[in-house]
Amino acid sequence: MSLVILLAVVVLAGAVLSVQAAINGRLGESVGVLRSSLLTFFVGAVITGLLIVFFEPAHTLSLLDVPKWQVCGALFGVVYMMVMVGAVPVVGTAVATVAVIVGQLGMGMLIDNFGWLGNPAIELSSSRVLAMVCLGLALVFMYRSSVRRSD
Amino acid sequence: MPAPATRPWLRLLLLPLVILAGMGLSVEAGLLGPLGEQVGHLWATLSIFGVGSAILFLLLLFAGPQKGPALTDLPRWQLIGGLLGPIYVVVLTLATPHIGIAMTMIAILSGQVGKSVLIDHFGWFGATRKKVNAERWLALGLIVVALVLIARG
Repeated sequence: MSLVILLAVVVLAGAVLSVQAAINGRLGESVGVLRSSLLTFFVGAVITGLLIVFFEPAHTLSLLDVPKWQVCGALFGVVYMMVMVGAVPVVGTAVATVAVIVGQLGMGMLIDNFGWLGNPAIELSSSRVLAMVCLGLALVFMYRSSVRRSD
Repeated sequence: MPAPATRPWLRLLLLPLVILAGMGLSVEAGLLGPLGEQVGHLWATLSIFGVGSAILFLLLLFAGPQKGPALTDLPRWQLIGGLLGPIYVVVLTLATPHIGIAMTMIAILSGQVGKSVLIDHFGWFGATRKKVNAERWLALGLIVVALVLIARG
C-alpha cells in the first residue's frame, strides 16, 4: 500500500519536474541561463534549509563525514539545469523531455547493471534493451513532429 | 541566448547535450539514494541546492553583467520554478532506496512525459503552443510500452 503511494508521489514529482522545465525555459529566455538557474538553486537551498531546521531529525553522520564523491551530485544538477534552460526554448518541452529520458534511462540501466555508486546491481535484460529501442523511436517521432511544425 | 528556434542544426546540436544532461540526472539519483540513507534525505537535498547555488553564484560573478530585466521585475509566477525543484529532489532521495533507481525513473518519466505533452499542447506557463499531432501520440504510446517493458523486466 505504501509502495503504491510512494509510486504515485514519484509520478507527481515527474509532472512537477516538467512544469519546472517549462517555467525555467521561459525565465531563462528573459533573464539568461545563469540567473534563472541561480534563482532555482538558491530558492531550493533556502526552502530545504528551512525544512531541515524544522523537520529533520538528528543523524550520526553529516555531509562532511561521507566521501567527497558522494556530494558531487550538484555538479550534474547544475549542468542539467543550464542545458535545459538553454535547450527548452529551442527544441520544445516535449522533445527536451524525451531526450532527457533517453539519457536518464540509459545511464540508469548502466548504474543498475553494474551496481555503480553503491547501489544494488540489477542485470540488464532483453526487455530493458527493447525498452531503450522504444524510447529511441519515441524521440525520433517527437523530434520530427516538432521540426515539421516550425518550418 | 540562441537566436531563432527554427534552425534545424541548432536543434541537432542541442539534442545530444540534453541526452547527456539526462544521464547526469541518473548519476545524481544514484548518488542521492545512498547519501540520503546515511545523512538524511533533506541534508542530501541541501547538498544539491547548496553546492549548486555556490557554483552558479561564482559563475554569475565571473560572467559579468547580465542582459535582460532584473529578477524583481519579472512576473511572480515565473519564480516558482525554484519552489518546485526541492520537491523533485526530496522525492528522489526518499524513493530510490525503497523502489530502486529504475522504478523511480520510470515513475518520474511517466509524470514528465504526460505533463510536458500537455504543456506543449495547451501552451501553459508561457511555453510555445504546439498541437499534439499523431506522431506525438505515437511517441507517447511508445514511451508507455517502454515503461511497461522495464517495469516487467
